[in-house]
Amino acid sequence: MLLYILRRLVLLVPVLLGLTLLLFIVARILPGDPVGLAAGPNATPELIEQMRRELGMGLPLPVQYWNYLTGLVSGDWGMSIFTRRPVFADIMEYLPATVELVFAALFIAVSIGIPLGLLTAVNRNGVLDYATRTAALGGIAMPRFFLGILLQMMFAAWLDILPLSGRFPLIESPPDHVTGLYTIDALIAGDWLAFRIALSHLALPAIAMALSPLATIMRMMRASTIEVLQQDYVMTERALGLSNRLILFKYVLKNAMTSTLTVIGLYVSWLLGGTVLVETVFDWPGLGLYATQAILTQDFMPVIGVTLVIAVIYLITMLAVDLLYGVFNPKVRHA
Amino acid sequence: MSRAEQTPPLVVPRRTQSARLENWSRAFYRFRQSWLSVIGLGIVVALIAAALLAPWIVPYPEHVVGGTNTAAKFQPPSASAWFGTNALGQDMFSLVLVGSRVSLFSGLAVVFIAVAVGTMVGAVAGYFGGWVDEVLMRLTDLLLTIPSLILAMAVAAALGTGVWNMIIAISITWWPAYARLVRGEVIVKKEEQFVVAAHALGASWMRILGRHILPNIVSPIVVKVSLDTGFAILTVASLGFVGIGVKPPTPEWGTLLSEARRYMPDYWWTAVAPGSAIFLAVLAFNLLGDGLRDVLDPRARR
Repeated sequence: MLLYILRRLVLLVPVLLGLTLLLFIVARILPGDPVGLAAGPNATPELIEQMRRELGMGLPLPVQYWNYLTGLVSGDWGMSIFTRRPVFADIMEYLPATVELVFAALFIAVSIGIPLGLLTAVNRNGVLDYATRTAALGGIAMPRFFLGILLQMMFAAWLDILPLSGRFPLIESPPDHVTGLYTIDALIAGDWLAFRIALSHLALPAIAMALSPLATIMRMMRASTIEVLQQDYVMTERALGLSNRLILFKYVLKNAMTSTLTVIGLYVSWLLGGTVLVETVFDWPGLGLYATQAILTQDFMPVIGVTLVIAVIYLITMLAVDLLYGVFNPKVRHA
Repeated sequence: MSRAEQTPPLVVPRRTQSARLENWSRAFYRFRQSWLSVIGLGIVVALIAAALLAPWIVPYPEHVVGGTNTAAKFQPPSASAWFGTNALGQDMFSLVLVGSRVSLFSGLAVVFIAVAVGTMVGAVAGYFGGWVDEVLMRLTDLLLTIPSLILAMAVAAALGTGVWNMIIAISITWWPAYARLVRGEVIVKKEEQFVVAAHALGASWMRILGRHILPNIVSPIVVKVSLDTGFAILTVASLGFVGIGVKPPTPEWGTLLSEARRYMPDYWWTAVAPGSAIFLAVLAFNLLGDGLRDVLDPRARR
C-alpha cells in the first residue's frame, strides 16, 4: 500500500515538470505587456527596462525556465508584478480561504447528495424522486455566479440574516491562525462567537458552489444505486430475509459509492477552478480572487502559481480517490 | 387447383422509406417520448430564432449600440420595457435579446472548434499509436489537469478583448476532452473487419480515417457535443462575468450580469434578466442533450 502511494507520487514528478513547462511556454508566447501595465501610463522607457531586468525577463527563454524551475523547488515562485510580493507568500495567504470554501461546498454536496440519491433510488418514481430529479436539472444548469447573486439578494439584502460578502468582519480579529480555516481555528480556540461569524460568512458562497455538484452527485448516486439494487446478490439477500435497511447500508451503499466517488473527485478540480467566479461575487479573499486580479493585470507568475497549486491538489485528489476505491471495494485494493 | 397455386405469392412490402430515413423517424419517435427533451428542443429553437432575428425585432435598437436614455434609468419592468431599464436607461430586454447573439454563437463556435481539433488529434493518435499517440495524449492529459476556467481566462486576457479571442481561449481548454473520446473510439474501430479490408484494398490512412472510421463514431461525438454546448455557453458567460471577453457596448449575458451586480439589490431586474437568460439557455441545451443521448446511446439511459 505504502509502496503503491510512493510509486504514484513519484509518477507525479514528470507530470508536474510537463505542467510547468507548458504553463511557462503559454505565459511567454502570449502577447501582452505585463510590465508596461504594472509600471503605469507615466512610466519612462528606462523604468520599464529596469523592471524587466529585475524580473529576469531579458534572459533567453530556456535560462528563464531553468531559473523558474529551480526557484519553484526552493519556494521562490517569482514575484507578483501587481502585489509586488513573492507569489509563494501570496498563495500561502490566500490558499486557506479557498480550501475552506471548497471543503464546505463539497461537504454540503456530499452530505446531502448521497443520502438523497439513495433515498430516491429506493423510492423510485415517487413524489420525492420526481421533485428532486426536476430540481437537479435546474441545479446543474444554474450558473454559480448567478445563484450567488440571487442568494445575496435573498438572504443578505431582503431577509438580512447573513452577511453580504467577505470572510470575516474587518473590525474584528479572526481566530488564532492554526490551519487558516477560520471555522476550524475558531473551534480549536473554543471561540463560539467567532465560529458563528465565520460560518455565517461561509454559508452563502458555499451553497452557491455546492448546488451543481450536489445535483450531479445525487443523480449519480441514484443511478448507481438502482443498478446495484438489480444485482443478483441483492435478490439473494432479500430471499435470505435480510432487512431492507441492512441490505441498503451494508451491501448496496458500498458498491454504489464507487462511481459516485469518481464524480466527487472530478468535482474537486471543478470547485477549485470555479472559485474564480464565486469568490468574485462574494469578495472572498481566496486564490480565485487573487488569480482573477492577476489575470486582469496580465501578471503571469501568480497565475502559473495558482494553476500549479490547483493542479497538484487535483492530482492528489485523484490519487486519494483511487485509494478510496479500495475502501469500498476490496477487489481493487492495492497490494 | 393444386395447393401450390393457392398459396399467395410471398409479398415483400414495398419500402416507402429508405432505411436511413426509417432510422431517423424511429430516433425521432424515441426522442419525442421524453417531454423534457422536447421542451429543451423547443427552447433551443426559440433561442436561436430570437438570436437570428434580434436585429429586426429588438424594441430599442439604439440602446444596443451604446445609446443611453438617463431620464428613464432604473425603470422597473413594465409594458414598454419588459425587463426594466439599467443605470443608463437602456432597455434590458433589448440588451438581453441582442446579447443572445454573442453568447449562443460563441458557445456553439467553441464546441465546433473543440470538435474539429479534438477529432483530428484523437484520430491521428488513435490510428497511428506508438510515439505519436504517446506525445499527443501526454499533452492532452496535461491540459486536462489545468483548471480550464483559469487557463481560458488567462489566455483570453492576454489575447485582448474580442469575441474571437474569447472563443479561441475557451477552445484551447475544450478540445482535449474530445481528443480523448475520439482516440478511444478509433482504437476500437480500427481493429474491425471493414478497416482491415479497406487497408487490404490499398486505401490511404486519410481515406480509412475519413471514410471508414470517423463516420462510424459520429454518435458518441454528437452525444458529447449536445451535452457540452450548454456548458460552453456557461463558460462564455463566466468569462464575461469576471470582465474578460467582450467589452461594452456589445451586449453579452455575463457582462450584463456583472454590471448589474453594482446595483443590487434595489434594481434586481438588471441582474435577473441576463442571469435567467444564461440559466434558460444552459438548461435548454442540457435537456436537448439528455434527449439526444437517450436516442443515440440507449445503453447510457437510466
